[in-house]
Amino acid sequence: MRIFILVLVALFIFCCALFLGPQIITPGPLSAIEREILISIRLPRVLVAMLMGMALGASGAVLQGILRNPLADPYILGISSGASLTAALGIIGGMSFLGSFTVPVLAFVGALVTGGIVGVMGWKRGGLWPERLLLAGVGLSFLFSALLMLMMSISTDEGLRRAMLWIFGDLSMSEWSRIPWGLAFVAIGIVLSATRARALNALILGDEFAHSLGFSPQRERFILFVSVGLLTGASVSLGGMIGFIGLLIPHIMRFFMGSDSRMLIPASALGGGSLLCIADLVSRSVLPPMELPAGVVTAIIGAPYFLYLLRKKDVLSI
Amino acid sequence: MKRYFIIIIALLIGLSYSAFAGGSTASPQRIISLAPNTTEILFALGLGDRIVGVTTFCDYPAEAKAKPKIGGMSNPSLEAVVSLRPDLVVVTEDGNPKEFWERLRSLNIKTYVFTERRLKELPQGIRELGAVVGAHQEAVKLAAGIEKAIGRHESGVGGQGAGNKCQGSGTSKKVLFIVWPEPLIVAGPGTAMDDAIALLGYENIAHGAATAYPKYSIEEVLRRAPDVLFIGKATGMDMREVSQGFLKRLSLVPAVRNNKICYVSDNLYRLAPRVVRGIEELAECLK
Amino acid sequence: MSSASKPYILELENVRYSYEKGSLFIHDLSFSIPEGGFIGLLGANGSGKSTILKLACGILKPLAGRIRLWGRDLLAQNSRDRAKLISYLPQTLDISVPFTVRELVSMGLYPYDIPPALSVDEALDMVGLRDKAGARLTDLSGGERRRTFICMTLVQGAGLLLLDEPLANLDIKYQIELVKLLKNLRELRNIAVIMALHDINMALQFENVILIKDGNLIGSGRPDEVLSQRMLKQAFDVDVEVRRSASQGIYISYDNNFAERRSERN
Repeated sequence: MRIFILVLVALFIFCCALFLGPQIITPGPLSAIEREILISIRLPRVLVAMLMGMALGASGAVLQGILRNPLADPYILGISSGASLTAALGIIGGMSFLGSFTVPVLAFVGALVTGGIVGVMGWKRGGLWPERLLLAGVGLSFLFSALLMLMMSISTDEGLRRAMLWIFGDLSMSEWSRIPWGLAFVAIGIVLSATRARALNALILGDEFAHSLGFSPQRERFILFVSVGLLTGASVSLGGMIGFIGLLIPHIMRFFMGSDSRMLIPASALGGGSLLCIADLVSRSVLPPMELPAGVVTAIIGAPYFLYLLRKKDVLSI
Repeated sequence: MKRYFIIIIALLIGLSYSAFAGGSTASPQRIISLAPNTTEILFALGLGDRIVGVTTFCDYPAEAKAKPKIGGMSNPSLEAVVSLRPDLVVVTEDGNPKEFWERLRSLNIKTYVFTERRLKELPQGIRELGAVVGAHQEAVKLAAGIEKAIGRHESGVGGQGAGNKCQGSGTSKKVLFIVWPEPLIVAGPGTAMDDAIALLGYENIAHGAATAYPKYSIEEVLRRAPDVLFIGKATGMDMREVSQGFLKRLSLVPAVRNNKICYVSDNLYRLAPRVVRGIEELAECLK
Repeated sequence: MSSASKPYILELENVRYSYEKGSLFIHDLSFSIPEGGFIGLLGANGSGKSTILKLACGILKPLAGRIRLWGRDLLAQNSRDRAKLISYLPQTLDISVPFTVRELVSMGLYPYDIPPALSVDEALDMVGLRDKAGARLTDLSGGERRRTFICMTLVQGAGLLLLDEPLANLDIKYQIELVKLLKNLRELRNIAVIMALHDINMALQFENVILIKDGNLIGSGRPDEVLSQRMLKQAFDVDVEVRRSASQGIYISYDNNFAERRSERN
């Protein structure tokens, strides 16, 4: 089955990212330093990259379905802008009431709150409506970006640079203590959306269809929206904003797996995880020992590929 | 005959007076400083009273905080600067945008560009600035003091001796200056910290990095195994608390194993007279 | 509950509905659909046909009145059970999604935990799309797409099919094909059909016609009874003539309307 191949590919890429790094560590007898690097630094980092990528890929597939929009991406709903705003507040304001968990928790809270606001604004007559969600999300995204820019223009250089580094995707702070949380939320989000994949298929065809097939369109859309919120929140809190994965990976996976959400959601998760592992590997290895923000690498890979996709026929259908 | 003589003297006095009043050779009385380090230098030269405007980042000495603000370093307010009627504006080459001081010059506002960036260039920079602001004597004195302090710490006097006595291998000790632990930002080439470390005869492991304050790979730190870690102070933060988690991940590094971690101040962050104290802090730690 | 000889699949009793507060759109509507019925819901645009269909399957909830599905209250039923009984195809189908025929038809299995008796392949055979099972919706003709959706409802196993203007935008050839297919399915699987349409002549193909105007039922019964000159004038505000064709079937002619103009010019 094709999913099985994808799993193997993802595992292979995981190992590459783990062992290649800025300097190659060959499996076998390792010095103490190499072991330390592998276990304390690289392994959590690649795991985080895999988790974030999975969250982004899956939530992209779900969002494109519930919004019936091929350009939908976890960021279009403003959830990540809200998370960045709260995280930047924490970084620039020097908060550390939860130790190293401070910024991730702030980001997660920001994501959930923003998701809630978007949900409330998109709510009318007993349900969430795609057009309203889209408009609310885009509007909020602009607002939060503006607030973020305001905050940055009045803050000092030090905090500013740190905030910007975080916002553009920073996996360098990945450590084992964050992984159980990340794993929990990403797993919940993916399971939640994967079990509702059939409903998502029906929603893609239309609300009336979904009703005819025995689903409550509003209820399904709401649950799927919650799963997107959880996944995006988890991803942003693990390592900042990484763009293009949620947008591109579902399109690429559709090419291989078809449009059935039952296949597409897990495939997008695996594809997203693989892509981010690669992007993170590149970001650490291009200008060693300096590290580039992973979000920059995904944008550089993603944007031209996206433009290339546009040239292909009927690729912009869901 | 006497009458002509008096007239000529009067004319001469009048001319030289107007020359002085014209201000082109007199020392500036209304100075604006567009960078924290030049602000500190000007205060150190005793010209605090003549400073009429500073940036929002100028916080040292304490009196600087009370001065009127004209904006940030990369975005100072032209209006604010002009409305303070300065007769000299001091800018830095690396901190302020070129377009800004070119604009000032096109408005016929006298501008001095402080171009020095490296530690060893500081004394000369102070002397040149001192000449422009009419504090020549103080500048020479200040510069001389800094030169002497730098000379005192130069390797051969403090470095190789104290630090490497035990090593005996002749290679210098490896150190790293951490500006912020998470994400890891360190002092690379071209910074005063790097200069100070080299001065003291030690090796900055980040010396070969591509930029001045790179985001550094933790892996690399583990590999290069520095013997001493400096952690610089960020305003308003308790650096010990902030670095806790980070240091745990570096438990295999000699500096952490032997507890050679020094929390230093931000004296080396600006190219100003305080750097001397900064060098002393590093030297103290490396003993 | 059902005392009639033929059980009623769908019963509407004094149903009212309004889109905005204060003005009723559907007024006290009552009718019943027997098993195996083949009903045409005829009326002008905006007369309430879509609304009635949506009320019938539960997409809209009535303001007053009762709707019963096989004798049981429609809204009291579990939505998955209801999906196995009644299926609705909206007027506009979003066919920009590149699902394959097989994928779409398989969606009819969704309400089921245990697969129903009719398999996807059998259903494809019934509508004649077996050879196009792997094709994408976007590559099919309009008629083929409609057939695919109907095939899906077959798999869904619904005993009642509600179709909202499926013939709109189809060439006459495909319109005829579709109606024939539905009649065929009715024979094979005893599926009742209610189709909303506004082509008067096509309404003659149905076993029963329900004529709607402004949310009111103005006639119900066999086509030749309901589609009279007077009724059609009321429903559509045109003067029609009911004519007999050579084969003794009837058809509706609008010539009267054009003839008047001709005479005016002369």
